[in-house]
Amino acid sequence: MAESIVKGVVQAGVLPSSRIRTAHSNPKRCAAFESFGVKILPHNQAVVEDSDVVIFSVKPQVVKDVVLQLRPVLTKKKLLVSVAAGIKLKDLQEWAAHSRFIRVMPNTAASVGEAATVMSLGRAATEEDGELIAKLFGSVGKVWRADDKYFDAITGLSGSGPAYIYLAIEALADGGVAAGLPRELALGLASQTVLGAATMVTKTGKHPGQLKDDVASPGGTTIAGIYELEKAGFRGVLMNAVVAAAKRGQELSQS
Amino acid sequence: MEIIPIPTETYKLGFIGAGKMAESIVKGVVQAGVLPSSRIRTAHSNPKRCAAFESFGVKILPHNQAVVEDSDVVIFSVKPQVVKDVVLQLRPVLTKKKLLVSVAAGIKLKDLQEWAAHSRFIRVMPNTAASVGEAATVMSLGRAATEEDGELIAKLFGSVGKVWRADDKYFDAITGLSGSGPAYIYLAIEALADGGVAAGLPRELALGLASQTVLGAATMATKTGKHPGQLKDDVASPGGTTIAGVYELEKAGFRGVLMNAVVAAAKRGQELSQS
Repeated sequence: MAESIVKGVVQAGVLPSSRIRTAHSNPKRCAAFESFGVKILPHNQAVVEDSDVVIFSVKPQVVKDVVLQLRPVLTKKKLLVSVAAGIKLKDLQEWAAHSRFIRVMPNTAASVGEAATVMSLGRAATEEDGELIAKLFGSVGKVWRADDKYFDAITGLSGSGPAYIYLAIEALADGGVAAGLPRELALGLASQTVLGAATMVTKTGKHPGQLKDDVASPGGTTIAGIYELEKAGFRGVLMNAVVAAAKRGQELSQS
Repeated sequence: MEIIPIPTETYKLGFIGAGKMAESIVKGVVQAGVLPSSRIRTAHSNPKRCAAFESFGVKILPHNQAVVEDSDVVIFSVKPQVVKDVVLQLRPVLTKKKLLVSVAAGIKLKDLQEWAAHSRFIRVMPNTAASVGEAATVMSLGRAATEEDGELIAKLFGSVGKVWRADDKYFDAITGLSGSGPAYIYLAIEALADGGVAAGLPRELALGLASQTVLGAATMATKTGKHPGQLKDDVASPGGTTIAGVYELEKAGFRGVLMNAVVAAAKRGQELSQS
């Protein structure tokens, strides 16, 4: 995730890599960041001391220990950010002993510059702090702001949602093959079809139901396909997935 | 008889049928700099449609015959129900020096070639996302269409999305997948948003996230070249939220349902193209 953000931020010109620093015990990881021009420091404490904005991009299981360990140098002059899934803002603020914290939930598509990212602001994070972080993450996709209480549901939708779509792309390709297409063509068309449809929604701002109406001509192929989906409760199944994932997110963030 | 190549730097492009698909192609082609609008012409009885094209700098001619006579490449973008009559009517001026293209869904290449009385025809099946520059387009080449003809058309349609080449026999299945597929995804986006709302999210946030999530996932598939099953494995961590969601989909046969949609739409496409 850190690598995706660095790549996006540098390529978009949001800030030069000379102003970015990190540390890692694994020389391979350091090499990856150095290739972008990022400064490598010997340990996390040095990174914090040399930074105004600190992004915690460690795995959720270790974020508590890492923040507690760095607490002495996490002054209120620094804006703190966490991208750890399932870690609540109130806990982050407690561990850091201050509330100039912003919680950010990006998703896997940050690595291709099309993330769906949501952020929630801690009590002491200012509007300008929020704009700064929005600009950073805007370089890898789209950004929304929401209250921290929504983050389990967000995890179930934008966090886990990409996997549901990977299943859909595979199924569309399989459907194409069942209808007689060669695999490579079917898979290429399936991915591009999904990409185009999502682009129609994001760019036209039309309701998806209206977009569906626009393309389902009387007695045509499209309504025949839709009929199969509706008969089988396709939409309800997708709702189930989001709700189940959100519920699991809630269980995990309370454990 | 020798086929005269279309001059790639100076050819004139004519649209028979100035509808939404033609508009999308013109917009894409001009914005991508593939050819300047001064080399594009069309005709339409409706002044509003003419105004839409004129605003791009496209030349408006009084009728279809004038468009054909003033073009090297002619795209038939009229509705499928009328394409036969239009081609037959224009047959006298459809010389073999002109490259003919049809974007009419469900109209076979062999029929197009029969109506035009020559086979320098290319059939193209774009989809609705041409209007936002992300079409999934497939083309099949008629017997007398050359490789260079194919590349010229691929470049044109490459300005509104991605292009594949395939045999004409695959086009009913293609219609069921890339032609009708966008609608299945509109349903999916609405359902993801509804799921988000069911889980407590405000509607606007849920819908925005749903659309962007689908966009990002498709971008991962197209840009990384990884198998979708591998991409799913990459993000489904042990006992996590993602596998919980995936479990619901698998339990309900989600993938089989989508296969049904593609197969049913392809079957309907076959029925329509044989009628």
